[in-house]
Amino acid sequence: VGVEQLVRAAQRGDPAAMDALVRALAPYVGRICGAIALERGDDAMQETFIAVLRNVRALREPAALHGWVRRIAVREAVRAASGTATPFPAGVEPPPLDPVDVASALDVRTVLASLAPEHRAVLVLRDIDGLSEREVAGVLGVPEGTVKSRLHRARAAFARRWGQ
Amino acid sequence: VTVPPTPGMPPGPPGHGGRGWPVASLDPIGRARVLAATVPSAAWTEGVLDAPYDATWAWVSDLERSVPLFDTDVRRLRVTSRSDEADALRLRVVATSFGIPVPFDVRLEDGFCLMRAVARIFLVVMAAVPEDGGQRTRFFHMEAVPLPGTASVRRRLQRAVEADFANLSRIAADL
Repeated sequence: VGVEQLVRAAQRGDPAAMDALVRALAPYVGRICGAIALERGDDAMQETFIAVLRNVRALREPAALHGWVRRIAVREAVRAASGTATPFPAGVEPPPLDPVDVASALDVRTVLASLAPEHRAVLVLRDIDGLSEREVAGVLGVPEGTVKSRLHRARAAFARRWGQ
Repeated sequence: VTVPPTPGMPPGPPGHGGRGWPVASLDPIGRARVLAATVPSAAWTEGVLDAPYDATWAWVSDLERSVPLFDTDVRRLRVTSRSDEADALRLRVVATSFGIPVPFDVRLEDGFCLMRAVARIFLVVMAAVPEDGGQRTRFFHMEAVPLPGTASVRRRLQRAVEADFANLSRIAADL
């Protein structure tokens, strides 16, 4: 069964199709929520799918599903992550990281955790999802310049870590 | 959240396609909670059964035996056909409830069971995950009439799922 048919059936309220849609989208949503919300990723994923299924009737064009789900997942992941203590708020340059051993230096999670959720969202959309800076700006509802600066900060944090 | 291993491929910095990045997951109970929050009239209960996960799910998965024992509204359940899929077992069952035989399509996985009446008038979801290292079982049970305008039946369904869960708890103590 194609995703388009699943969307149509889910819009008619078929619970089996709703569950099948969740299973089909889970790998993608899991990557977004995991990278942005970190330890709150599972909660963000659950909230994403609740929002997706509650609003699926509003999705007029099933072909737009992917982008629509992406927006919801990013919003829920940032919201979930923002509910926890964020080491460095958005717009504040994180301090240089302490020297660490090689294993820790390769710990993506450590670097991600040093960034604000909004910065992680930019990284995920740009580097995992492959969106352009303009597209990222559209998903997040921020100016393209903001995306550029967040991306610069996020990549700088990784560069410092990997440059050691 | 788990970080899936990528053999031979250490985690990479941005621009490497996200290898080694944290990935969130939705376990069977998470899937069931999503349906409970979005299907009209859904009534559900969740709790921990004092029985090992493997034994509990093996017992629950034997629907012909288990459902009539813990669901007092179901007198009998018969599997009429089965087919294996890559990630699930698909069954057609007939549950006899209040003297009426009701056919259901069933999707049965490890830790997840979705039973939808063929006429689409009734839905049952059961989900389970190991608790305490598998020594106990977190169990989720949901019933719904997945049709618009059925919110009024929710209270009746809530009593039913709570009674079912109480029966399951008693049965689990002997597993």
